[in-house]
Amino acid sequence: MARLVVLGGGVSGHTAATFAAKWLGSAHEVVVVTPNSQWNWIPSNIWVGVGDMSKQDVVFDLAPVYRKGNITYKQAKAISLNPEGKEGADTPFVTIEYTGQGKEGQTEEVTYDYVINATGPKLNFAATPGLGDANGLGEYTVSVCTADHAVHASHELDRCIEKMQKGERQKFLIGTGHGMCTCQGAAFEYAFNIESKLRKAGVRDMADIKWISNEAFLGDFGMGGLHMKVNGYVVSSKLFAESLYAERNVDWIIGAHVNKVEKGKAHYELLDGTTGVEEFDFAMLIPPFAGVGLKAYGKDGSDITDQLFAPNGLMKVDADYTPKPYSEWKASDWPRTYQSPAYKNIFAVGIAFNPPHLISKPAKSPNGTPINPTPPRTGMPAGITGKAVAHSVCDLITKGEGVQLHEASMAEMGAACVASAGRGLLTGTAAAMTVYPVVPDFDRFPGTGRDTDYTFGEIGLAGHWIKQVLHYLFIYKAKLKTGWTLIPE
Amino acid sequence: MEKKVIPEELNFQNNDKMNLTMIPSRYARFMRTCVIWQFIRFVVLNIKMLIVVRKSH
Repeated sequence: MARLVVLGGGVSGHTAATFAAKWLGSAHEVVVVTPNSQWNWIPSNIWVGVGDMSKQDVVFDLAPVYRKGNITYKQAKAISLNPEGKEGADTPFVTIEYTGQGKEGQTEEVTYDYVINATGPKLNFAATPGLGDANGLGEYTVSVCTADHAVHASHELDRCIEKMQKGERQKFLIGTGHGMCTCQGAAFEYAFNIESKLRKAGVRDMADIKWISNEAFLGDFGMGGLHMKVNGYVVSSKLFAESLYAERNVDWIIGAHVNKVEKGKAHYELLDGTTGVEEFDFAMLIPPFAGVGLKAYGKDGSDITDQLFAPNGLMKVDADYTPKPYSEWKASDWPRTYQSPAYKNIFAVGIAFNPPHLISKPAKSPNGTPINPTPPRTGMPAGITGKAVAHSVCDLITKGEGVQLHEASMAEMGAACVASAGRGLLTGTAAAMTVYPVVPDFDRFPGTGRDTDYTFGEIGLAGHWIKQVLHYLFIYKAKLKTGWTLIPE
Repeated sequence: MEKKVIPEELNFQNNDKMNLTMIPSRYARFMRTCVIWQFIRFVVLNIKMLIVVRKSH
């Protein structure tokens, strides 16, 4: 009997573990190590953050689902990997520390034949003074990164609405809290859901909403933007993003590295080297992501973390990490199998793998501060990479080494993204977008880097309905209900 | 002379950035939430997304 250990139970880890358990059956064991007791459909957190959904609408308990899926569940966080075992024992293992199940604080060595690192990001609030610290979110801003954060954000928003109803003008600042953030899409959604909420509450005229972001232009979204066909033209997403911001009267600051947050103030540096301070009554600034800080040790106990992980804590996989200028970036730099080059039984998927470089054009201020979005790997790419790697591991276990590994390069896969701009069965709107491929390939698609037959976007009620359907569909799938395998990632 | 106010055009004067972009007209905004048209778009968008999903697996 072989044992696959999946570290992390988010979109990528959950997908990998559930498919692997289904394909392997009871002949082999699948273990999930995740510090959380509940699964969270993160894309709907923005609706929790404006009070349109409750926390219970976006989470469910993992234990019964893993029982049903024949998956061993350990509510714990992974601390370190020992890919060669330890002195006196050759079997590789992961050291974990329990966070629940009545074993809080206890450590355990979980041996494995294969391990999939799907630990996701560490929300690195500490990267920006005042945004938070090593323990998490600070006191001056709110976040929608977790369901609990979103509940807190909703309460703070309610306070602001009460003040506006009493005639007190409020300033909202939404965006990214550092020059190296990703997930601009979530902040974008939150900004426009707040705008929509304030209109419904009848206080929109009492609010100044401003967007602040590390994108070089609106509509970059960490993907260098996208070009799409509209009414006989091929146009940049910049035009459509700016149009929406202007329509909803949301002012914007772009190319910004927020370097310090104080009570009611965000200090920032811009791409042109100038600095500024933006005042706010309510701020939601996405933190940058980093690896969760997994360590790795050799058989003799020596620290081999740098062999498996990049300095940012994300795991090195089969990508081409050779440093090169933007003009020499290739689609082929991106990983295909997500296998660690150091240990063939270790894989990393979703946000846990280290991308070879950015997707957006790199940019620095004259002071040398990098201000550019890092590549998004959430949602569809996270699910697809999780499933592909689960398939590879199952083949390795059942057919033996030497099998062709399954491939899922972000330079060959597309992604569908639905960004809410306000909720409501008949009044809601969302920007429905697809890109193909996620990573532009200028050799295959000279000009835009993408296939404009499959790269499109439009805003409307239909997009909102799609986002609402996806909410129910993906929670249904994650609960392993009848027919769950038929729902694509 | 009577002042002609077209609400969807007011934001152009907010600042230079907004002045240099495009803002949807009343007709474009109506179509965004027109249930019949959006139902058609819902079907079309789902088909287009499924094609991209299929190409990605």
